[in-house]
Amino acid sequence: MKMKKFIAVLSVVSMMAVAAAGCGSSSDTSSAGDAAASDDSASSSEWDAASAITVVSREEGSGTRGAFTELFGVVDDDDNDITTLDAQVTNNTSVMMTTVSENEYAIGYISLGSLDESLVKAVSIDGAEATAENIENGSYTVSRPFNVAVKNDLDNPVATDFMAFIMSTEGQAVVSEEGYIPVSEVEAYAGEAPEGSCVVGGSSSISPLMEKLIEAYAEVNPNASIELQTTDSTTGMTSAIEGSYDIGMASRELNDEEAAELTGTVIATDGIAVIVNQNNPTDDLTVDQVKSIYIGDVTTWDAI
Amino acid sequence: MKSKAWTEKFMQGVFFVAACASVLAVALICIFLFANGIPAMREIGFIKFITGEIWRPGSDQFGILPMIVGSLYVTAGAVIFGVPIGILTSVFMAMYCPKQIYKPLKAATELLAGIPSVIYGFFGLVVVVPIIRQFGTALYKAGIVDNPGNGNSILTASLILGMMILPTIIGTTESAMRAVPSHYYEGSLALGATKERSIFRVIIPAAKSGVIAGIVLGIGRAIGETMAVIMIVGNQARLTSSILQGIRTLTGNIVIEMGYATGLHREALIATGVVLFVFILIINFSVALLKRGADHE
Repeated sequence: MKMKKFIAVLSVVSMMAVAAAGCGSSSDTSSAGDAAASDDSASSSEWDAASAITVVSREEGSGTRGAFTELFGVVDDDDNDITTLDAQVTNNTSVMMTTVSENEYAIGYISLGSLDESLVKAVSIDGAEATAENIENGSYTVSRPFNVAVKNDLDNPVATDFMAFIMSTEGQAVVSEEGYIPVSEVEAYAGEAPEGSCVVGGSSSISPLMEKLIEAYAEVNPNASIELQTTDSTTGMTSAIEGSYDIGMASRELNDEEAAELTGTVIATDGIAVIVNQNNPTDDLTVDQVKSIYIGDVTTWDAI
Repeated sequence: MKSKAWTEKFMQGVFFVAACASVLAVALICIFLFANGIPAMREIGFIKFITGEIWRPGSDQFGILPMIVGSLYVTAGAVIFGVPIGILTSVFMAMYCPKQIYKPLKAATELLAGIPSVIYGFFGLVVVVPIIRQFGTALYKAGIVDNPGNGNSILTASLILGMMILPTIIGTTESAMRAVPSHYYEGSLALGATKERSIFRVIIPAAKSGVIAGIVLGIGRAIGETMAVIMIVGNQARLTSSILQGIRTLTGNIVIEMGYATGLHREALIATGVVLFVFILIINFSVALLKRGADHE
């Protein structure tokens, strides 16, 4: 009998817990509805500037993190990464965006090409908006190169021709169409359209752009087949050295070991957008403010 | 007659080779892990590696104590949430469940096992994390905790992992309870015990080794789970004292940084795998001891 009672109490408690959770989420959706209906009043009343900032960062070693810490000076005198240990870490662009879009007090950073403005808000840095034009004219300074690398003694005609296509007017037109910053001073593609196949692989940041480039190349040279493999920068470089990829992709600079074996080419420049939640009233941050948030000197939004 | 003996011998050989495959796999994994991990541990310094509190591969600081503690925290949390619910569910399924709802219930728990972990992670990220954040903020406003956390926390990971280990625990516990001879139960009833008393004092103790095996399999799943955990636990490589704060697990550390790691950093990650492997060995070993103890009673 005792056990029956216990089970009854347990089930009641769990049902109450479910009910409470249900209430919480339903009130949440109604307030979100209010915010959408009469935007400013509802969202600003919810916004509490004294709340702690949720700092979201990429993983140690990621090309995006390396470029971010370098460009914002989140490094000590010996160039060591000093991002606060309290920062949440993710290895995935979409988790980064979801986290920032779900958490009003979060701040993060992603590749400009992956930015989805319907989910999160990109803040201006030192007054310059994060756009391809501003990166090109130099007012938005937070950007990094997209590198592709081939072996010094590459003898695959398709890979050579494809590289020539990427670095041509046609190829660079694709780059700027996709929202990245093209390389200037290129000439029109004058390749001989050889027959054959080649394998391109590496950084997942460059992959979406490379996919479009391969599509465009297929139109000018239907004889060639190019296979794209998405892994990461280091795998891309290692596999290019080993010869399993003809062309490797890296969203960072090549390190010395890699540069000894490979010839790197910058095919585009990508901006890094600093993102916050859409309910966050902050529109503009300076480089120093972003730096102090990521070092951990500033921990609440009103202290900026 | 002779040909039959030959086929039997042959098939015996086939079975033996099949059995060797799994042993060989374990052996190869051991060799790979230790051959790559031990040199890194030696270079970093074993004590410094295990007890170091700071993980900054960029500045050559490789301390994995936060990750060890993190794995223990989330696994313990998963056990706290998962084991009572799992055992009570199997009691219901084995002893109380009416026939009409047994099938859908069984199908549901089995489906729970089939859901890919990335789905659990996404569910956690979108549904559980905001709830925990509100919960943390409420506690903070009530003055119970110093830091509200942001939802990506040990508590969130424990809840999701607790959910993920349910099917393992339910499956093994239920079949262990069903395997208890029915005269145990009938005898208990005949001696005047109530149904509940018979279940909890006779059936479950008789099925103890199956129940423990279920819990241990669950612990193994929880400590080894990666994808779901890295999406919801925050992955901060530092020690914390609050379950509303995030932490990083051993598996998360490997997965998150493996993609870009080179040189000593990469080896340190493999060494992290060695530590994880030793943990699993310790768990299996302690189960063997526990079981032996139970058999001697």
